[in-house]
Parts: sequence; C-alpha cells; structure tokens
Amino acid sequence: MENSLTVGIVGLEPSGTYYADIFTDLGHRVMLADSDPDQRESFEDEFETKTFENPDELFRSDIDVVFVSTPNKYHGTVATEAMETGYDVLLEKPLAATMEDAERIVETAERTGNICMVAYFHRFREYCDILKSYIDRGELGEIVHIDAKFIRRRGVPGRGTWYTSKKLAGGGALIDVGCHVVDLVLYLLEWPNAEDIVADSRSDFGHRTDYRYLEMWGEDDEAKMYDVEDSVRTFLKFDTGTTTDIEVAWAANVQYEHSYRIQGTDGGAELRLDNNPISDKSTSSLNLYEVRSGGADHFADSEIISGSDQGYEECYEGTVKAFVDAVRTGDRPEKCNVREALATQELIDWIYRADKTGE
Amino acid sequence: MRFKDTATSRDTIQSVERSFRILEIIGDDENIGVTDIASKLDVPKSTAHHYLRTLESLGYIDNDDGTYSLGIGLLNLGGAARSNQQLYHLAKNDVDELAAQTGEQARLIGEHRGYEITLYQSTGENLTEPYDPLGTIKQLHCTAAGKAFLAELSKPELDRIIEGIEFVEHTENTVTDPDELRSELRSVHDQGVAYDDEERYEGIRCVAASVGSKDIGPYGAISVSAPVERMDNERFRGAIPDLIQNYAGVVGVTTNYYWAEDSFE
Repeated sequence: MENSLTVGIVGLEPSGTYYADIFTDLGHRVMLADSDPDQRESFEDEFETKTFENPDELFRSDIDVVFVSTPNKYHGTVATEAMETGYDVLLEKPLAATMEDAERIVETAERTGNICMVAYFHRFREYCDILKSYIDRGELGEIVHIDAKFIRRRGVPGRGTWYTSKKLAGGGALIDVGCHVVDLVLYLLEWPNAEDIVADSRSDFGHRTDYRYLEMWGEDDEAKMYDVEDSVRTFLKFDTGTTTDIEVAWAANVQYEHSYRIQGTDGGAELRLDNNPISDKSTSSLNLYEVRSGGADHFADSEIISGSDQGYEECYEGTVKAFVDAVRTGDRPEKCNVREALATQELIDWIYRADKTGE
Repeated sequence: MRFKDTATSRDTIQSVERSFRILEIIGDDENIGVTDIASKLDVPKSTAHHYLRTLESLGYIDNDDGTYSLGIGLLNLGGAARSNQQLYHLAKNDVDELAAQTGEQARLIGEHRGYEITLYQSTGENLTEPYDPLGTIKQLHCTAAGKAFLAELSKPELDRIIEGIEFVEHTENTVTDPDELRSELRSVHDQGVAYDDEERYEGIRCVAASVGSKDIGPYGAISVSAPVERMDNERFRGAIPDLIQNYAGVVGVTTNYYWAEDSFE
C-alpha cells in the first residue's frame, strides 16, 4: 500500500496487540520491542515481522512512527526518547503516570516538533462529535452541569498487575478509565480550568478473596500488589461556572454505566457509551431533551441516530487514522493532541491531590 | 602481552584456597592473631605468616601489631561485584523507600551458592545501623527472604538447594525438617509472601516477597525486619506484607523494563 507506515510498538501492555491489528488492517506494518521472549515470538508469528528486546534497537531499525503501550510509568522515557530520535508518537492513554513525566513529554513534543497524540479513543465516537456540535451551536444554552459516570460492575484490570500499582500506573480507576471521562468532559466544555475540587477515593476490592470476575479484564497476576483506588467520586467547579460530578469505578455493586448527562439552560442531553469492549453489540446512545412551545408547551425528546453504531474497534481505528493523518500532514492532530492530554493529566493530578489532602 | 603458564598444579590451587580461607577467617573474627589463624588453617605459623604478609602487601588485610582485620581494598572488589548485579540497580530505590516507609530495615537479597546474600540494605528511622553488614550471607531455610526466594523455584532447583542445606536450628522457631519447609514454601508461593517469626534471631521478625518473573523465576527477594515489639501481629501479618508485595511487584515489573530505568550509578 502506498504511503504505508512501519509502526514501532513499544510494549504490549496489553493494548499493543489491539493496535497492531488496527495498524495492519489499515495497511501499515508493525515491529515490536518487548522484553518478554514469549510475547515477542508470538508477535513475530502473528504479524510476520521483526521484534526487539528493547526500544533502543527498535528505534535504530527501519520504522516511521512509534506507538507506546508500556505500563504508564515508562511513557515518559519511551515517548521522549522516541521523539528525540525523530519519531512521531502515539501513546496509549493516559499521557503519563506523573505530572512530571507528562510535562517532560509535552516539552519534548513542542521542542522537537514531532507529533505526539494520546489514544483517548472514546473521542472518536460519532456521538461525541454530534453532541459537541449541539453544544457549540448553543442549542442547549449555557452548560450548567455535567454528570459523568464510568462504572464497571466487576472490572478491576488484573489485580496484582501493573494496573493496580501506584508507582507503575500512577493511580487506579481514575487514571485508567477515569481519564477518558475527564478528557471527554473537558472536550465538551472547551477545556475550562477547574477552580474547586472535592474528591474521595476508595479501595474496596483489591484484597477481597471473594472478588468475582464477571467482566474479564485480565486475570489476577501472581504478584499481589494493590495500592490504588478502585473508585473515585469528585465534584468539580470550573471557572466558567459549570459544575461536574464524576464517578469512576473499576468495581461497584451497581449496573455498569458510561454516561454523560448534560444540563444546559435551554436543553439537555444524555450520552451513553458502551464501556464493555467484550460485548458484541454497541449500546451507545445519544438523546436530546428540549422544551418547545409550538401548538402547546411541550417536551421534545429526541433520539439521535448516527450513521454508524460504533464499537471499540471503530474507535481504535478512528484514533489510528487521525494519528496517521497528522503524521502525513505534519500538523498537530485536532483531537487528543499533547496539549489536551496535558490538561486532562493536570485535572487528574488535581483530583488525586484533592482526595489526599481534602483541600 | 602473553599468557602465563596455565598448567594448574595442586599447590597453586591450594594457595589460592588458603588465601581466601584466611580472608574468611579474618572476616569471621576481626583482630585475630597469626597463631589462631595458623591453627584454623592447620598450617605452621611461619606459613600463615607468609600468606598474611602477602595479603597485607596487596592491601586486602590490615595488620595492627600482630592482629589482623580485613582491609578496605576488599570493598573495592565488593563494590565492583555488586555493581554488576542488575537487580541491585533496579531495586535500590524501592528498598530505600520501603525502609523509610516502615522505619525499619529493608533488604534486597540474591541467592549465591545456596545462601542468601545481602545485595543492598537500607534503614528507617527506628535504627541507625543495619543488623548485619552488607554482603552478609545467611542460610535460606531460616530467613523470610530466603524462603520467599525458595518458594518460587522450580522443583528440580528447589530439590538441589534443599539437598545442600544444613538445617541449623538457629532458634527454637527455626524450621529444621525439610518436609515441613517444603510445605511452608507451598503456602509462601500461594500467598506471595514469606515470614520469619524469630527463626533466625530471637526477638526479630521479618517479612519478605520474591522479585522476579513468572517465566524466568526468582531473581531475589526484598524483606523488612524489626524487633517483635515494633512488629506486632497486625503489622507482621497485615500492613507490612501488603506493603512488601507492592514493592516486590514493582521491582518485578521493573526488571522487564530495565532499559527505561535511569537508576544506574
């Protein structure tokens, strides 16, 4: 295929393989750096390609761009080295495990001029863009409040893996899945600054021996580390006057939910996104709530029917296409660029600090 | 440059053995005199003296009026030997944090010839000096770190090491029966954490977890020890094991991403 890229993937933890599939489906080639020899071997077989033990060797070989899916702790080192070597970079979300690393990545991206994009893939659902267009056209009036939830009933990603280690992941449910919510809320509200935060996190499921995996997100590892939150509730007030409630949970004793209820002065909306990539059918929906007066005063509730009912795979694909476009044009991607990702990281960091200090 | 005569006669090997044996004797018993050294080596005093003068001239032992102690020159070799241990570089900061967080002594051990050897140790606010010097070797059956390491070995490796262990009863709690040890190791493996409840030293409790990978096996272990009065049952069976498992897990993952760590000195 003309203009196809060779993507150097660093780490398979664990989304590297999903993205490798998407890249190859779109006609690109992939190579891998991973320290696990078994992983390398199966990757070589599956993608008929070369693999390397560490990124230095990968960066010296014939690749065009880099995709980073290591544990969050290593995003900073890998992304900055890749960009210093001259590669454009797509990072698995979140941007980094710590603010320090996040800032290092952004500084490197801006200094070297390389593209750096973070895979907040939910942003590539049509429903999100449609909702944003209603907000932008003022059809909901001024946005007063957003109530956002990302709740899994039983979905801690592999207890005892790097996901449940503060040092390796930078946090728990908030940085793992809550980062999507923070990203989407900030996007819908045009990246306002938070003024006030109240936050509270809990860790209820880490060491429970009666924990049941009903939604599989990786198996418990032999390692037993678990020092992160599995749920967070936070109330935010932005400098625009808009308030937001966010509830995030890897596990909770309620139905799973990934939703955004938007209240404006003139209308409202409810966006529901499926948060279960394992289910075959997308359950996403977007509804608008308006009040009109033609004939008689009435509520006008409408269901938005999008052309494509997007599941996870389409979202990944949208992310990859946007990245490849940015690489080809050399222009910073409009969605999920490193500046936006930094704003998301700053708010996540603040929520964690608010939780710790009660400030 | 040319090769020296590589033919090894028994005498030459014996003298190397004796030299190192002298270093070990002095290491066990600082300020020992030539008479005692000669008798421990079972050689005439004049022979021992000859060895001692040689080692002294090389800077590896010090002679203070006829009593001998290990020389600082050995630290040079020891430091270089440890510097080659990748695990030390990858785990050092975590051991420091573990000590600071618990206020107690945290250690990183590796296995060497059937013993555990302290590669790095760090002390928290509750002690000023570590319990033992760096590089101390201990039997594997009586320490938490040793048991944590053993519990992750494959059966043939475990058999080989247990075969070589002399089950010394250091305290009345020391496990001295190989079968009892094996059964304890199975539970250590399941729980991911090992305990030493005054099994090596009276009055000292220790908790440890192995570091390594599922595929390759254990590289070593990290541990926290404290006197019983500062390690009550709640801490011994609850808080400290959780903390150690978090750190051991991090070190384990870190070993897979060694290239991203800039902790090399």
